[in-house]
Amino acid sequence: MNRRKKVFISLLASSLILLAICIGGMFCADTARLTDFSRKNLSPSLDCLFGTDWMGRDMLARTLRGLSISILLGILTAAASAVTALILGVVSATLGKAADTVITFCIDLIMGIPHILLLILISVAMGKGFKGVALGIALTHWPSLARLIRAEVIQLRESPYILIAEKMGKSKWYIARKHLIPHLMSQFLVGLVLIFPHAVLHESSITFLGFGLSSEQPAIGIILSESMKYLITGKWWLALFPGAMLVLVVVLFYKAGENLRKLTEPGSVHE
Amino acid sequence: MRKRVISIVCAAALTAGLLAGCGQGTENKEKKAAEADRDSVVVTMPTTSEPEEGFDPAYGWGAGEHVHEPLIQSTLTVTTKDLKIENDLATDYQVSEDGLTWTVTIRDDVKFTDGETLTAEDVAFTYNNCKEKSSVNDFTMLEKASALDDTTVEFQMTKPFSIWPYTMAIVGIVPEHAYNENYGQNPIGSGRYIMKQWDRGQQVIFEANPDYYGEAPKMKKVTVLFMEEDAALAAAMAGEVDVAHTAASYSEQAVDGYELFAVQTVDNRGFNLPASDPQEKDGITYGNVFTSDINVRRAINIGIDRDEMIENVLNGHGTKAFSVCDKMPWYNSACEVEYDPDGAKKLLEDAGWKEGKDGIREKDGERAAFTLMFSSGDSVRQALAEDTANQLKELGIEVTTEGVGWDVAYDRAQSEPLVWGWGAHTPMELYNIYHTLSDTGIGQAEYSPYANETVDKYMDEAQETATLEESYELWQKAQWDGATGITQEGDIPWIWLCNVDHLYFVRDGLQVAEQKIHPHGHGWSIINNVDQWSWE
Repeated sequence: MNRRKKVFISLLASSLILLAICIGGMFCADTARLTDFSRKNLSPSLDCLFGTDWMGRDMLARTLRGLSISILLGILTAAASAVTALILGVVSATLGKAADTVITFCIDLIMGIPHILLLILISVAMGKGFKGVALGIALTHWPSLARLIRAEVIQLRESPYILIAEKMGKSKWYIARKHLIPHLMSQFLVGLVLIFPHAVLHESSITFLGFGLSSEQPAIGIILSESMKYLITGKWWLALFPGAMLVLVVVLFYKAGENLRKLTEPGSVHE
Repeated sequence: MRKRVISIVCAAALTAGLLAGCGQGTENKEKKAAEADRDSVVVTMPTTSEPEEGFDPAYGWGAGEHVHEPLIQSTLTVTTKDLKIENDLATDYQVSEDGLTWTVTIRDDVKFTDGETLTAEDVAFTYNNCKEKSSVNDFTMLEKASALDDTTVEFQMTKPFSIWPYTMAIVGIVPEHAYNENYGQNPIGSGRYIMKQWDRGQQVIFEANPDYYGEAPKMKKVTVLFMEEDAALAAAMAGEVDVAHTAASYSEQAVDGYELFAVQTVDNRGFNLPASDPQEKDGITYGNVFTSDINVRRAINIGIDRDEMIENVLNGHGTKAFSVCDKMPWYNSACEVEYDPDGAKKLLEDAGWKEGKDGIREKDGERAAFTLMFSSGDSVRQALAEDTANQLKELGIEVTTEGVGWDVAYDRAQSEPLVWGWGAHTPMELYNIYHTLSDTGIGQAEYSPYANETVDKYMDEAQETATLEESYELWQKAQWDGATGITQEGDIPWIWLCNVDHLYFVRDGLQVAEQKIHPHGHGWSIINNVDQWSWE
């Protein structure tokens, strides 16, 4: 088995685990909200692997459901951000000086404000909840990728085959479609996957701070902020497992992104 | 990847450090206990108890959303342990025939802590100032306060208000000569304690007033620390405080050297059931199709097992609630109901709510369902909402819970049930909840649509009686007069679940004097009588 295959298998494995968590979470939607006061504050056992909380909710179901909400939000927002980045990056580099100035200004503006602050601002302005968080993350995560793509396009534009295409009288749209976008695809994909862990972490942090999802929902941020209140009484399982699972998911996404990069741009290994 | 490993190692090291820190707590505790001064006490309170605007009654100190004795200032009257009225600064008070003039004579031997004598001028100034500035308490019934001589003050009212003595029990008298916009930071009063130091966001230190006109306080120094419940528990475990406030979810925790102390309260939790048909005004929906059916409201009231709820949610630290004013002199015991799930189901059946395929009842295509809101971050209200949902499911009613912020809760509660907390040492609470207000919303009760002319009439009359005793009877009639009211047999627009005991970890050896029934608010009430506390 060569290294390429190993990387591929590792990518497949992490995607499968993430998919499993996602699907598991969908089946747990009801169980995660079910309260049963006859079994509250149980420590982890074979019956409930992650224990239960102060309202007798099963922590395994809550964790899975929370992660699947996070992953879903992550996919949604990462896709939205990445597409925004792609469009703005290409537009900025091809449509001339004025467009470039405006878009670069936007990128600098958004990157200049602390990420989490801007997120909270947008989320609160949009009335919190799923909508607020999704918009907040989607609107704040595109600039770095957009800047990368813009730089790439500027460089590409000077390359001989594109200059030749221009001389041959091909339209700008034709060049973008046939020459630019295929070339940018690998960077776009890797960028997309690497926005995931950011999106997931940011979703859970603003929910943790109370500016995100509403408190009856089993989001990881809610679970963690609730567990903080009970750590002092020795209920370690409330924070440990959900926290560890969150880290696991983020690491898996990160690994998947790295592996994807190795597969699509073999040259990047030497960088 | 290496960076990540390093950060994990750092986190592990930090955790180890924390654990080691916990170990030191025990030594610390013994030292503290040995050194403890015999006449000082350290008490914790929730961070929300810290008065934002300072210790000024005009901005809610004592007379705000949560009522308590102002300690630094003295009041004209005080409430007794059974919540009747006694004189404090006042030596006597009288009300005119028409109920529009209150004449109060005050003691002539009282001095502010800056040495000036407290006169009727100061009293009049305090009340006029409160009327002008207070946004947290209602002073609209007061027209004007004026001093007739040094020891007599006259209150002219805009309308008869028989329960005025209860207002007089929470308004601390401030000195006119030393009052300015910074008064809240440097309060001067004539009360049992002097405020020595206030570190915003952390603590307030009180010292006994050596010239206090009443019995000298036994506790010479009182330190109040503001912190969350988990921090308070940690402080108790480390032996750093004498009284730590706590919640039911921590009540099973044993803390060495401390005992759990539960105070009965009228700090109730309940939810509103909008009692009118839906209509819209100014973008807000008022009323709810499902809960406007009186049989639904009655079924919910008897279909809730309050005992089970208290056991589950409050670990047994609470009492069943049937009204907003349980155990108060103006409470009508007709509010009480028995848990009767079969009766509840029968009520629903008879009213035409038949069970559908999924076990949820329906009537004319309308599902027996509502959203029960609770304030985000309040674990007790959340658990009560969840338990209510579980219990009502047995009846075939589908309840979805939702956490909301107070920014939207008031408007949404006009059409959807919300878990509320109430309870005060004044019958005005009944008025606030059940009496209609013609100039707000759709002209029904302020917080949840409800209107009943007879109930309104009793409450209006209650405010016009000559004596408090007569008014108690009318307040009771407003709840149930034998034909109509707000009880199970009446309109039942609010469901009351439980009164939440206020829980504290109290250091062994500290005698916390007998407490009045605490009102809503887990803060200052505990030290209402801190001057009578003692160490064994």
